[in-house]
Amino acid sequence: MGEYLLEVQDLKTYFKVKAGKVRAVDGVSFAIKPGEKLGVVGESGCGKSVTALSIMRLLPQPAGEIAGGSVLFDDQDLLDLPESAMQKIRGGKIGMIFQDPLTCLNPTMTVGKQIGEALRIHLKLSSDESQRRAISLLEQVGIPAAAQRINSYPHQFSGGMRQRVMIAIALACNPKLLIADEPTTALDVTVQAQILELISGVCNEFGTAVIIITHDLGVVAGMTDRVAVMYAGKVVETATTDELFANPRHPYTLGLLSSVPRLDEERHSQLRTIEGAPPDLLKPPPGCPFMPRCAFAHAICRTMPPLEALPGHSAHLKACWVDVTDPQQQAYAEKRRQTRIEKVLAATTSQSASTQPVREEM
Amino acid sequence: MDISEQLNSANVTVDEVEPFLEVAPALVQKRRSQGRIIFDRFLRNRVAIGGALFLFLLLIFCFFGPLFWRIDPTQNNVLSVSATLAPPSLAHPFGTDDVGRDTLARAMAGGRVSLSVGLLSMLLAIVFGIGIGSFAGFYGGAVDNVLMRFTDVILAVPLYLLLFVLSASFSDGTPKSVIFLIAIFGWTYAARLVRGEFLALKEREFVLASRTIGARDFRLMFRHMLPNAAGPIIVNATLLIGINIILESVLSYFGFGIKEPDASWGSMITVGQGIFDTDPWLVLVPAFLIFFTVLSFNLVGDGLRDALDPYMTER
Repeated sequence: MGEYLLEVQDLKTYFKVKAGKVRAVDGVSFAIKPGEKLGVVGESGCGKSVTALSIMRLLPQPAGEIAGGSVLFDDQDLLDLPESAMQKIRGGKIGMIFQDPLTCLNPTMTVGKQIGEALRIHLKLSSDESQRRAISLLEQVGIPAAAQRINSYPHQFSGGMRQRVMIAIALACNPKLLIADEPTTALDVTVQAQILELISGVCNEFGTAVIIITHDLGVVAGMTDRVAVMYAGKVVETATTDELFANPRHPYTLGLLSSVPRLDEERHSQLRTIEGAPPDLLKPPPGCPFMPRCAFAHAICRTMPPLEALPGHSAHLKACWVDVTDPQQQAYAEKRRQTRIEKVLAATTSQSASTQPVREEM
Repeated sequence: MDISEQLNSANVTVDEVEPFLEVAPALVQKRRSQGRIIFDRFLRNRVAIGGALFLFLLLIFCFFGPLFWRIDPTQNNVLSVSATLAPPSLAHPFGTDDVGRDTLARAMAGGRVSLSVGLLSMLLAIVFGIGIGSFAGFYGGAVDNVLMRFTDVILAVPLYLLLFVLSASFSDGTPKSVIFLIAIFGWTYAARLVRGEFLALKEREFVLASRTIGARDFRLMFRHMLPNAAGPIIVNATLLIGINIILESVLSYFGFGIKEPDASWGSMITVGQGIFDTDPWLVLVPAFLIFFTVLSFNLVGDGLRDALDPYMTER
């Protein structure tokens, strides 16, 4: 212990709905060292954001409920803390930024007041003192003429500048951990890179650890030290960023990586996708949740594989029975993919007599 | 020297360019503050401006008029026949009532009562309504249920009857007691409104975002959410003044509000009601004052509603 700043162990978060329990996060474990940058990747609805909100204990009430596991932060289980202690941690020790900076700032409060708020809450600074700190924070996140900007309202700022303000708010009290939940999704592509660079730079400067949640592999490749890939509420693979991109071992990671369009690819070649949709988390399938979509699937996949280190790689963990680097397995997967494609083609040609449009579902 | 030569010549010094640099910021459109935008939008609404102007003049009339019209509104003159029920004249522009009191002076005094009762009871009611509504909306669940059922109970009470009964036993006929009586029942709509606003606001992302910096419930409610609900609350408050002024007049008309000989627009109508055919000004003066005051408050309220609503398309 003590090596990690944050250690999430077997976290389970369920949402109670009329139809039953949605297992949004179902046994997630990961850890992050001080100053480290961890990327959490996965498609929509795989539990990334819920994991972040569970760490902050800000799940929507009363539906959300943490059903099990532990979140050790500085050797202290956040799930056991009373609400008042949790309020000291939020903003003080852990900062968070959200996807949409347009809706995350209070439209009736000046930017300076909003940045200064965390300082007043946690450091009990006077309003003059907090304004002075707010100006220097605004400068640090790269907003020119900060002293004048401090009295502006959020609607006078552009999207990228608002996200900069959000970063300034989250980092105001110099937290040890920053959770960034899709920080660039709502932004212009040209601004995305700037914001990522800013987060990376400011966090290096402050020595802040970062959990960056995204569905964009490009974001992860550029700025993280380590990546955890999530699928259907579980972590399926985790490794250092370089290792994961060079040597993906889980079929889902493999699928994610091959579905990124590449510049050096032949033009008009088909983009590889992962067929199907993520499972319904109300009734997750027994065993590996990726099995219904997986080309590598075998009978053994009906039991859930454990998240285990690869032999010889203590830092590379995967939850899969199959060795995807085995040529025999690759041939098997390719054959299964081909038969699937043929089936679809057969189905569409038989349909082509009718004028129904071809649907690309399988 | 033609233009291209001028542009290309290297001997343009900084001093020659400098004046233009100073002008440049003035050319940039100045950003208007939120309040300024709302004020400008309000100014464009002529009807609302008319209402606001009337209220402004009424305020001067009621509070500064007595400085120039130095007749005591309570002083009667029963002994002189010519001084009672006198028609409008130079000495008494609005005539006198059945005991010889000057109607103009009483209209000013009554206006002071009506305006202060309307404003202060509105303030009390709004503060109480915000308290109840914000807790109900923010905490939801059982808190919401209890507070809103309590509000429903108050709403279900036959307001006028209860006010008559209560004022008959508890009111001492001063504006203060009337203010409290009206405020006790006036907060319900404000409470419902604030609750509705808070229910919607607490789902907004900026509330979640302020939770992530460790803001407590009170800060969330009153620093973050309340200012965002200010628009509807201000509109409701303006309309409530009109409602309260009418309530006060009705109470005073029936003799449960302001007690004689102190003046109130409502009680002035009572004095004139039996002799409307011979001395109509006794009813007309207070009736028109009530009518135009309430109308003006409603017009201003409507104007504010339009000015404060950012989604309101400009006509």
